[in-house]
Amino acid sequence: MERLGVFLCAGCGLGDALDLGALESVTQESKPAHLSRHPCLCSPEGVESIRQAAEQGNLEGALLGACSHRVKQQEFRFDPAKLVVERVSLREQVVWSHPAQQEDTQQLAEDLLKMGLTKLAKAKPAAPITDTLAPAVLVVGGGQAGLEAAAAAAGLGHPVLLVEKSGSLGGHLGRTRDRLPQGPSYEELEPNRLADRIAEIQAHPAIRIFTSARVRALRGQPGRFQAEIETLKGVESVEVGAVVQATGARPYDARRLPHLGYGASPNVVTSEELETMLFAGSLRRPTDGKLPERVVFVQCAGSRDPNHLPYCSADCCGVTLRQMAAIHRDYPRVETVTVYRDMRTPGQLERFYAAVQSHAASLFTRGEVEAVEGNGHLTVRLRDSLLGPSLSLDADLVVLAVGMVPNSADGEAIRALRDARRRVEKAESETQRQEAQKLVDQLGHHQGTEILNLEYRQGPDLPLLRYGFPDSHFICFPYETRRTGIYAAGALRAPMEAGQAAEDGWGAALKAVQCINAAARGEAVHPRAGDPELPDFFLQRCTQCKRCTEECPFGTLNEDEKGTPQLNALRCRRCGICMGACPERIISFPAYSVDAVASMIRAMSVPEEFEEKPRILALMCENDALPALDAAAEKRRQWNPWVRVVPVRCLGSVNLVWIADSLSRGLDGVILIGCKRGDDNQCHYVRGSELAHTRLGNIQETLTRLALEPERVKIVELAHDESERIPEILDGFAATLEDLGPSPLKGF
Amino acid sequence: MTTALLPSSSFRKALLERGGATAGKCYQCATCSSVCDLAPAAAPFPRRQMLWAQWGLADRLAGDPSVWLCHQCNDCTARCPRDARPGDVLQAVRGLLVEDLAFPRFLGRLVGNAGTTWPLLLGLPILFWIALLAAAGLLSVPQSFHAYEQLVPHWLIYAVYLPVAGYVAAVSWVSGRRLWRALGAGGPRSGSFFGQLMPVATEIATHKRFAKCGTAASRRSGHLALFWGFVGAAVTSGLLIIAIYIQGLPMPLPLAHPYKILGNLSALLLLVGAGILVANRLRDGKRTGVSTAFDSYFAWLVGLVIVSGIVVELARLLAGDGMVSPAVALGLYVAHLGVVLALFLSFPYSKFAHLLYRTLAIVHQRMADRKEPTAA
Amino acid sequence: MSDPSLPLLVVGAGISGITAALEAAEAGRPVVLLEKEAFVGGRVIKSHHYFPKLCPPSCGMEINTRRLERNPRVRVITQAEVVASRPIPGGREVTVRQAPAYVNDRCTACGACSSVCPAKVDDSFNLEMGQVPAIRLAHANAWPHRYLLDRPACPPECRACVEACPHQAIDLAARPTEETLQVGATVVATGWRPYPIAKLPELGGGRHPDVIANVQLERLAAPGGPTGGKILRPSNGQPPRRVAFVQCAGSRDVNHLPYCSAVCCLASLKQALYVHEQYPEAEIAIYYIDRRAPGRNEDLLTRVAAVQSVRLVKGKVGRVEPSADGALLLTVEDVESGRRLEASADLVVLATGMVPNLDHGSALDVKRDADGFGRDSVELGLLVAGVARRPEDVASSVRDATGAAARALAAAGRRA
Repeated sequence: MERLGVFLCAGCGLGDALDLGALESVTQESKPAHLSRHPCLCSPEGVESIRQAAEQGNLEGALLGACSHRVKQQEFRFDPAKLVVERVSLREQVVWSHPAQQEDTQQLAEDLLKMGLTKLAKAKPAAPITDTLAPAVLVVGGGQAGLEAAAAAAGLGHPVLLVEKSGSLGGHLGRTRDRLPQGPSYEELEPNRLADRIAEIQAHPAIRIFTSARVRALRGQPGRFQAEIETLKGVESVEVGAVVQATGARPYDARRLPHLGYGASPNVVTSEELETMLFAGSLRRPTDGKLPERVVFVQCAGSRDPNHLPYCSADCCGVTLRQMAAIHRDYPRVETVTVYRDMRTPGQLERFYAAVQSHAASLFTRGEVEAVEGNGHLTVRLRDSLLGPSLSLDADLVVLAVGMVPNSADGEAIRALRDARRRVEKAESETQRQEAQKLVDQLGHHQGTEILNLEYRQGPDLPLLRYGFPDSHFICFPYETRRTGIYAAGALRAPMEAGQAAEDGWGAALKAVQCINAAARGEAVHPRAGDPELPDFFLQRCTQCKRCTEECPFGTLNEDEKGTPQLNALRCRRCGICMGACPERIISFPAYSVDAVASMIRAMSVPEEFEEKPRILALMCENDALPALDAAAEKRRQWNPWVRVVPVRCLGSVNLVWIADSLSRGLDGVILIGCKRGDDNQCHYVRGSELAHTRLGNIQETLTRLALEPERVKIVELAHDESERIPEILDGFAATLEDLGPSPLKGF
Repeated sequence: MTTALLPSSSFRKALLERGGATAGKCYQCATCSSVCDLAPAAAPFPRRQMLWAQWGLADRLAGDPSVWLCHQCNDCTARCPRDARPGDVLQAVRGLLVEDLAFPRFLGRLVGNAGTTWPLLLGLPILFWIALLAAAGLLSVPQSFHAYEQLVPHWLIYAVYLPVAGYVAAVSWVSGRRLWRALGAGGPRSGSFFGQLMPVATEIATHKRFAKCGTAASRRSGHLALFWGFVGAAVTSGLLIIAIYIQGLPMPLPLAHPYKILGNLSALLLLVGAGILVANRLRDGKRTGVSTAFDSYFAWLVGLVIVSGIVVELARLLAGDGMVSPAVALGLYVAHLGVVLALFLSFPYSKFAHLLYRTLAIVHQRMADRKEPTAA
Repeated sequence: MSDPSLPLLVVGAGISGITAALEAAEAGRPVVLLEKEAFVGGRVIKSHHYFPKLCPPSCGMEINTRRLERNPRVRVITQAEVVASRPIPGGREVTVRQAPAYVNDRCTACGACSSVCPAKVDDSFNLEMGQVPAIRLAHANAWPHRYLLDRPACPPECRACVEACPHQAIDLAARPTEETLQVGATVVATGWRPYPIAKLPELGGGRHPDVIANVQLERLAAPGGPTGGKILRPSNGQPPRRVAFVQCAGSRDVNHLPYCSAVCCLASLKQALYVHEQYPEAEIAIYYIDRRAPGRNEDLLTRVAAVQSVRLVKGKVGRVEPSADGALLLTVEDVESGRRLEASADLVVLATGMVPNLDHGSALDVKRDADGFGRDSVELGLLVAGVARRPEDVASSVRDATGAAARALAAAGRRA
């Protein structure tokens, strides 16, 4: 980028703390097309001065030496296609966090400006691809969530293809008579009107329904997915823009609970099986067809149990209450007993709980069911119940409120299994074969669980979070999966009650619609929603190392048979993790590239050994670590002036070459500061922080080979609210480096 | 060791009819047990009893002293987050237990269902008196009279009431034994019965436990008055026998006579006590609990005895000046004798029986757990 | 069917409102987002950590405010309320009143004003615990990132801040403004307020400084809180040694809130970890009726139950009274052992529930249930999201809000 403008701000104490004149002469060296200073750059007048300068000098880029890029965003927003803006945080990173009028502070400001200029010079204006794309939404699963997702997408003006594996729509709820109260007084059962809803959806002109169908293959990317739908009639290939997976959940296999008598006696049934009886209007004891006198419900059958389902299935308490109420209504003489660990009736469901309790024939006790014995006539053995430490209770029918298991498939595991199988066949060494075989044994149970059959390098289905639920950040951004354009809804996404699953369908459908629109504009979706940049692969230099295709958290990249990455740009979330992975440095974004950051590092001053001023590079995640730095600065916390901060999109986008360059330039240390990793990771790209740690682990021995102390490179986890730790972290690292002494590579 | 749970739907049904329906709402949060100051820390109630009632575990309730330790202060009911009204539920349970412990049981049931049987319960004793007087040819009324002695001789009254008293004592003994056994099944007791009876008696005389009630504190004074009213009445009756057959005092005694004063004082206490309790019930259902036929029959009976007693006394005074005809006086007197008889007879079967059962329960509690049962 | 050319109105910029606004805007719809406070984030931004991950809400909020800034389709109006509303063809016309902009958007958050401000006020962001200058930044990540003036607290004739401000961003004479907007569908996401502990005197609420509400503990644990993140007894500023959590303080109780507030169990489990992490020796007890940790939140229950110094006791606390040694005495039946305890604690946290905040919705005449929770009126293009609709946690509110945005767009017919 040639024509750059430099705009310095004198407000917020910059003018007093820094010698702006000196800074101007420094920037003059790189001969910017425009250079000016404003008393308050973010004021309407200041912004106007930028606009005018940009127009008159038809600038391509503007470097704003003012405050952090996190503030005054709206003021400094210009059309990225016309003017690329790079902001240097002279306020937060220099004057608010360092003593005024000092050589080191001035030097810091100089370096940051030079680095900013270099980065800007390397930046190119974004050239988003725009295209008219397939507007259709593919909904997989015709249960409660899927049906509502279809209705929603259609309601939002998109054609819908609804694929249901069974012969009829409705899923579990299709086989129930009543539903839990959804509104005041919250005390009465409501009739299940799903049949009417299904009729509406079947009649909707924009919705095409495929029953007894499955997705045989799904390839492509948001806006232009190719789906092969296999029905009894054959295979149909369709173009869809986005996908909602609402394959729901299945009851936990009660045969795995032999101690509860399932299988041993036909009079022990699951809530699902009781539902069928109630639906058919015949509550009967299977052994003799008589009306049971006492029905005992066993809660948490399989749920909240480390040996079965460690999580709570969230729905079972409600289902049991619904079934009790139905029995009270239809069979007033039948006594219903519920044995629970904790009754979980959140919100207004509490009112329904109270209403069901008030019925004379409903008994409750907290307790553990140790065993269900007998065949025709059953005995339920209770432990630690409110009624006594060890008790037995006769029952004619025992209902196991079994938990729910998501109908998901672990795409990563399936892919790993395939790879392992391949290696078992053509392994180069026996040890390799054995290792592969071990993996095959571990993952064996995954075979045949494909649902979406994605033709993705990273496997045929949505990757899973803990316990097989395929979402990512289930608190803040519950719909985000790790496959762009494919959204999970309903009990597949998280254990939930039918009413909530319906709402969930609407939410997921909206995300799908958003994704189609974003794709049409060539923009990214969450978390960099609206980002027009696309990654560029310089494939001539690709060595097929497959790191990028392996490490992209979102399955963006496929491989050809040689292993060359094939970019599916619209699957890309712009995190730059591939860029960080690539040893050949062939992946770059218009305004964020290996080269750009490398040259920023080259632009920074490196004091000579005798000056005894270490130079430190801090690569900080812009989502959590950098905001913490800003907050620390706002509280006027001070930290070591030898640190040069380079914001990165994600620690995962850090390319090791930056560290190598820094060290070989004689920098004394490099610190990476990013999000928490692990199961409860706070990385918005899920794996970025994780990958950074692994990669760093790998270069430690390289350092030793270069006769460098491994302590010179450090990685730290920092949460968004931990600004108080910033000085301690940076000063602490500086202190370590001082103890180590100057880098031996200085001056080489 | 494993014991079998035997929920009884018939007990639940009976409880429902007796005002214990709200037991079903209880979700075992135990607020009630933590706010009840009468409940011992080692065995707090009524949370457990609510669950037993909900399930219809009659046997457990029958052997549980807590049911009787409850004074229905309704601190629990006032704080219950589900409005399950533990105070009422335990009251209903006590009703059923009185019925169940009664000897013979059918009489218990008869009084238990006073809601429908009350005409019988009141009518029969009155008819009995009329028949008796008729048989003794005493229905002929003199022109004037100055003492009821002239209408109904004392010997006849005692000839009726002394055996009745004996009967009441006998059946109370049987019922008492039934409860005592049931309580004993709960665990071993130590110490002597009478050793514990004395302190308990004083405790009851002073209504010490009642003093701990928060929500329905005013019930204490009413209950205390009623209690001492009955004691006074009983004592007076005893004194009268002495007055007539030993001291040979002329009847009726003058108003200023100590015996007379004691008698009227007792009547007054009864009147005041009953008044307070009725007022309480009328004031606020939630705090004082709902009235069931079982409670109200007893209340009415006591009320009738007091009122009729006073009316009869007034009648005699007025009769002297010929303002009330002897016939009317006799009628009133017979009615009074009738309701008194009804009251006597209903002692073991009505709410009154809790005097016996509560006493036994407290004694049992002290013998089962020697230390004074209050918050640890 | 409301008019798709009119913007979507979202009332309340808590997690639900922000989500509804962003999801609609990112689907291509113009949106007006109203917030009565000076900053967005509602209740969540006042929490220290989210359960079950124990991560700071500001982390997700960082992304959301970025989304708000980058998205030209969203217009955020802070310190604003709907004061009137009338139906028009295809939607409604609402009158929005905005509080005086004493500090306008020339403010750079440089802090010059705060340092010279002579007046101190109770720190509303920290629930009145502690004092701050009358002109201040509400909290570290306040968005819009602009100072806030508590005008009534200004001493007469004081112009200290005006003179200190280098950017002419302060106007002490600013007046409230009114604006009428024509909007299509409306999403009401006005959230909730905590049930006041003063209504629970038998649990010591409002009677003893060391009996606090769960929301207060969030602030005490937060780095930006009145104690800089140290959990201390309000009475004497000392670290607590025995902390008791009283569950269902007001919830599941016909005398207070008949419904279950859905988050209090998890909040207390989470807060037990706050205490444990700061004071590993502290004895922590959680007194509950039922442990309600639906879905994967069960992990948090498992995690806390495994902590040595934390006891989960089944039994609702009946009384909290001051004891002789200046501590607090809790009376509760330990249902599992069947004994009544008199447990002593020096900090008691009442896990109070959520009361729907529909006073703002009222100008839009939102249908409400007996407890004041809002109900959708799809025919009027009026949808309710988040806790204004039902008691629920953050994840559910986000789901709810996204669904509400979708329903609102559908009600308005889509044009993206």
